Amino acid sequence: MAGWGFSRNLQDMGDEDLVVLMADGDERALSELYDRYSRPVYATGLRLLGDKQLAEELVQDAFTSVWRNAASFDQSRASFATWLYRIARNRATDMDRRRRVRPRPAGEHGLYAIAGGPRPEEAVDAWDVAAALSTIPSQYRQVLEMAYFEDLSQREISRRTGIPLGTIKSRTTAALKRFRQAIANPVPKEARGE
Amino acid sequence: MSEDRFETLLGPYVLGELTEEEARELERHLEDCRTCRNDLDGLRSADGMLRSAAAGPPPELKDWVLARARNERRHSTGGRWRVWVPVAAALLVVALSSFGVIRALTGPSSDALALTATGAAPQAGGELRGEQIGDNLKVELDAWGLPKPDDRGYYEMWYASADGERISCGTFTVQPDGSATVSMSAPGSSVAYPEIEVTREPDDGDPGSSGNVVLKGSIRDL
Repeated sequence: MAGWGFSRNLQDMGDEDLVVLMADGDERALSELYDRYSRPVYATGLRLLGDKQLAEELVQDAFTSVWRNAASFDQSRASFATWLYRIARNRATDMDRRRRVRPRPAGEHGLYAIAGGPRPEEAVDAWDVAAALSTIPSQYRQVLEMAYFEDLSQREISRRTGIPLGTIKSRTTAALKRFRQAIANPVPKEARGE
Repeated sequence: MSEDRFETLLGPYVLGELTEEEARELERHLEDCRTCRNDLDGLRSADGMLRSAAAGPPPELKDWVLARARNERRHSTGGRWRVWVPVAAALLVVALSSFGVIRALTGPSSDALALTATGAAPQAGGELRGEQIGDNLKVELDAWGLPKPDDRGYYEMWYASADGERISCGTFTVQPDGSATVSMSAPGSSVAYPEIEVTREPDDGDPGSSGNVVLKGSIRDL
């Protein structure tokens, strides 16, 4: 993720406003959206394709596509998360199709057939988390990202941000509450085209 | 400790970040406070969801994505690249991914890696050299005998794994005589893609490889 002091204004912006910046060629907007959504795209790749390298390729392709097509994004039709989810899912399907025409090592499974793994539909859980995080104020989101995604202790977060430890502790509690409220009001499923 | 203070400690408690003394005190309070117990249940649920979503791609992947976007912007803004590259030789700043390649190209036996032509461009040839600069790697590709790409087409260099997966290193065009010198600067990362390919790409918006390989090599040959 971007550092604490990285472009504070961008971190306070909504996903769809960042896409507008991205359409103007602002790489920082792409960086911020990558920080918010690379995890769910990667999770989708892992669940649908069952392979880390392919999941990484999916992340690369999905964000390249987002960058390339930002100008065509229409927020009246879908949220950014919805748009990205569709891109990632379609791309995963293409990758799986391509993989099927090549000989595969024994034990390598195709789309929707990952032995022992969760059903593909469950991959949207990670999207719910990312979408909820993107809607809470940045000072709360960043505390959670550092704690959960960068695995920093409260003391390390305090040191990195220069914010007193007591404040970080109370902010963590407030952030978890905000996140929980946000995830209770997710992007409607139908908006994802599911 | 006040009720408000107990409430603010719930988050760090869920994360296992309280001192033993703070945790004991909070647990005693929880026995008597239904509100805090309810809040704690909610925070534990949030904690579980965040933990389940924590797995992400390798950090260096972001460098690659941003470098590619930068590269594409240069390409789409057009003329600048297409005119400048043939005239002054290419300088692309993109992300590379392979410690194996870094070691092979900059290590003690730092002979150039020869790239050999395929049937798609039988007159072509190329060499790849590397130089470690700080934490980054500078790689220089010298290529010759490459046919001029079709309108708006270009060449792309890739790292490929044994099973055919590819990572793009960057794109370039050639001078009128079919030669190109491309310098690429990149952070090191950890994925081993030992095969090198140069492909001819149409300007069709597809970020994947066309599969039209004109030069290839393998660091195994070093």
